[in-house]
Amino acid sequence: MSHPSPVHNPETPAAPGPLPEAEALCRDWFEAHGTAVYNYFRFHVPLPDVAEDLTAETFFKVVRAAARFDPERGTAKTWILTVARNVLTDWRRRARLRQYVSIGTMHDLACDAPSPEERLLKEEEVGRMLDAVATLAAADRELIGLRYGSGLDSAEMAQVLGISEGNVRMRLWRVLGRLRKVLGQ
Amino acid sequence: MTDDANLPSELEELDRSLREIRFAARASFGPELLGRLRRGERSKGAVPPGRRRSAFLGLAASLVIAAGTVLVLRGPPQIVVDRCCYDLDGGGDADDGVLILAQRNARVHRLRVYEDLDGSGSYTAGDLVRLDRGARPAVHGLAGEGIVTVEQCCLDFDGGGPDDDGLLVIAVPPERVVMAAIYERGPEPSDSRAAAGTFPLR
Repeated sequence: MSHPSPVHNPETPAAPGPLPEAEALCRDWFEAHGTAVYNYFRFHVPLPDVAEDLTAETFFKVVRAAARFDPERGTAKTWILTVARNVLTDWRRRARLRQYVSIGTMHDLACDAPSPEERLLKEEEVGRMLDAVATLAAADRELIGLRYGSGLDSAEMAQVLGISEGNVRMRLWRVLGRLRKVLGQ
Repeated sequence: MTDDANLPSELEELDRSLREIRFAARASFGPELLGRLRRGERSKGAVPPGRRRSAFLGLAASLVIAAGTVLVLRGPPQIVVDRCCYDLDGGGDADDGVLILAQRNARVHRLRVYEDLDGSGSYTAGDLVRLDRGARPAVHGLAGEGIVTVEQCCLDFDGGGPDDDGLLVIAVPPERVVMAAIYERGPEPSDSRAAAGTFPLR
């Protein structure tokens, strides 16, 4: 039984069609950008489970809307993160009536600390930084999430946010300055 | 990154610290996601094409009913806010939450302080209620020695949007909660003597 050949270059997908092809598309995009999307959400939500749900939702939407992806207008990564931003906005709207703000768990923190004590210290440090990020305005958090969660550079952030690169850099530096004050550095 | 060549030096350490933060989803997450797709699972917002028309009609009917209901009731929307987990009873563990039923950004109708016994991070039937009060703040029982006050500020406790609300809890450790109330935090008063009257408890 022959299936359509899987898409090997995640930046130039074939048009979505039968499920195996959509599956291949999702797999390739997930392998290439899943970590960036997951980390983007982790800078916005305190719980790994919620970040996983939002990541899954993003890729469901991405596969459904793959025909609308236009490589001329940007990379797959920036397009997927645009979808992720919309997913986050929808989730915040839905979560409004019953908000869960828990002290987040950090079991998904990628950390090569040699001992449990050092890992705990690292988790506390990261928790303190993310708590500080959470005090920023939504637009500021967005910049931090895209840069440090997703690892986008200024050009990619400019595509996602629809502003100039220079504007991205200027705003990001201001946000970092505010964050530094919050952290008391 | 090359585009950070001009990053102000005082921000470099923070930039480096933030770059080092990396999370990794469970190893099984990717295969699970592909499996869900294979089973034909859709996103939460997806509507099967054949049901779009009926969904539209249903939505239109719902809007008419909702508009009628609003006209009849004319009340501000009520919301439920569930915040967890803090040490509100002075017991030492951050395992307490607060459940608030309020008119958005206005009156509190019900306020419940609970101990999150099942560790769910939200109020469930299995949790232990430490305090349950109605619309007005009141002290439950006599407050003897060892009383502590716990304050959490600032979050959105009344669904108003901004994180401008505080939660004040009076407790006798390790497990008695005698009073809880929220307040909306305004601008800092210039006169410290005016502070007590500036943020009325709700």
